[in-house]
Amino acid sequence: MTMNGDAEVKVVPVRHVGRWFGGAVALLFLAMLVHTLFSKVPTGSVRCHVLNGIRSCHNVMTWRFSWGTVSQYFLNGEILSGLVKTLELTILAMVIGVGLGVVLAIMRISPSRLLSATAWSYTWFFRGTPVFVQLIFWFNINAVFPNITLGLPFLPVAFFHISANALFTPFNAAFIGLGLNEAAYFSEIARSGLISVDEGQVEAASSLGMRRSQTLRLVILPQAMRVILPPTGNEVISMLKTTSLASAVGVTELLGASGNIYAQNYEIIPLLIVASLQYLVVTTLLSIGQYYLERHFGRGASRTPPPTPIQRLRQDFFRLRSRALPSHRAPVPSS
Amino acid sequence: MTTPMVEGRGICKSFGAVEVLKGVDLTVTRGEVSCLIGPSGSGKSTLLRCINHLEQHDAGELRVDGELVGYVAREGKLYERSDREICAQRAQIGMVFQRFNLFAHLTVLDNITIGQIKVKGTSADLAKQKARELLSRVGLDGKEAYYPSQLSGGQQQRVAIARALAMEPKLMLFDEPTSALDPELVGEVLDVMKDLARSGMTMIVVTHEMGFAREVANTVYFLDRGIIEESGDPYSVLSEPRSERLKIFLSKVL
Repeated sequence: MTMNGDAEVKVVPVRHVGRWFGGAVALLFLAMLVHTLFSKVPTGSVRCHVLNGIRSCHNVMTWRFSWGTVSQYFLNGEILSGLVKTLELTILAMVIGVGLGVVLAIMRISPSRLLSATAWSYTWFFRGTPVFVQLIFWFNINAVFPNITLGLPFLPVAFFHISANALFTPFNAAFIGLGLNEAAYFSEIARSGLISVDEGQVEAASSLGMRRSQTLRLVILPQAMRVILPPTGNEVISMLKTTSLASAVGVTELLGASGNIYAQNYEIIPLLIVASLQYLVVTTLLSIGQYYLERHFGRGASRTPPPTPIQRLRQDFFRLRSRALPSHRAPVPSS
Repeated sequence: MTTPMVEGRGICKSFGAVEVLKGVDLTVTRGEVSCLIGPSGSGKSTLLRCINHLEQHDAGELRVDGELVGYVAREGKLYERSDREICAQRAQIGMVFQRFNLFAHLTVLDNITIGQIKVKGTSADLAKQKARELLSRVGLDGKEAYYPSQLSGGQQQRVAIARALAMEPKLMLFDEPTSALDPELVGEVLDVMKDLARSGMTMIVVTHEMGFAREVANTVYFLDRGIIEESGDPYSVLSEPRSERLKIFLSKVL
């Protein structure tokens, strides 16, 4: 840098003492974590051997976190079919939750007091009772409604009969229960998105002659998505793990599958680690998907879209390289 | 004599206990530019918004192109129009807002084509062609792919005018179109509006730009406290005000 056209002046960067100290502490804890994750403990058995007539003994060591058992079960068939069940439950429950949630949110902001009160009451009830109770309720629905009939209300007309036991199998009870519960939460997320869109957008759409449904679909919802997506990512990830409650009504999903295995071999911690790692893998994939969805729906919201992580890595790489080469000095803005 | 484009008799509008319009009469003939001036809170914007039914007037008779706004009169009764009919009425009236209100998630081109495609049922190709013509008319060639946030206020407002014109309206309403703009950007928007006025478009403009009113308007209406205090040709209203209120108002804005 130069000052008033003088010779080159050295710039001394400010020292961030607190930042360095905090960083050191964080690094220390990280080292401890890695160390304990990959530490070995004695199994209790001793192995001896004789070499050149001298007998020497040592404790047999094993991974503290039984990584051998973890890797043995990581791609186990039962675990993987549990994972598939977990994913199925998550997807079906979220489809119900998002679909019904959007309808509830639209009802909630409707000028009709009856519609808005209905939506409010739904949310009140399903948010106000434990999802675990709701799951068990749907699983035992045949105690209240042994037969489920599709017909005209209050009239002796029926099109379709089905026994509750046939409809509410453990799997169906689980995803219906989780989905109906999710709808209550999602309706609030959707509503926050809908009311976040500026009133002027609605007026502009109206002034073009768009009908209310068109305005909602073409103007409001696409812009509400930007607000709706981050908490929806939360909900999907939360749902992924809440599906483990389905094991209580007899669905062998991921956690249930690992539970079935450790009930036989008593390898509780390794199998919990297997299940947790599987959840983490799916969560990671979901987070990546969420990032790119947010980018898509964020278009138009800011003048220059932020770089993707890959673009950012590439930028960092080129910056490092240009710093390493003395001939490639970053240009200093002349002011 | 042809029917006037807009005809209002005794229009009233209240928001709760606040009476914003207290019996407004106005007649806008075809091809004429009318400017509504007046202090803030005088009801200018409300009157404009009643004309395309963004607000529903409480009393009085309001006709656009001979048709009642929001109602059908039959056998001595007024029937409220259905949503569909109101939308059809609105589609023939263009509106430009103070805050532009461009669709933030759509490009400039999509902003201008969406109404044509979704409301009028124009084919995408024709809509795009028309959008490009209009963009060039408002001096924004080559900005098709931009998002509104990447444009200046003046450019956004010109896109908003193009968006309204794309519907081929018979009447254009402007609600303080230059009030949210930096002073150096006001001119570019006013130029587009002057050009539009010369092309014979019927326009009602709520504005604080007295120069524009003087130069372009056929009739200037001075609204104060919900009534039209004074109206007439720009010269008589702006240069020879009769009412005390208008004199005070003009002394503040000129």
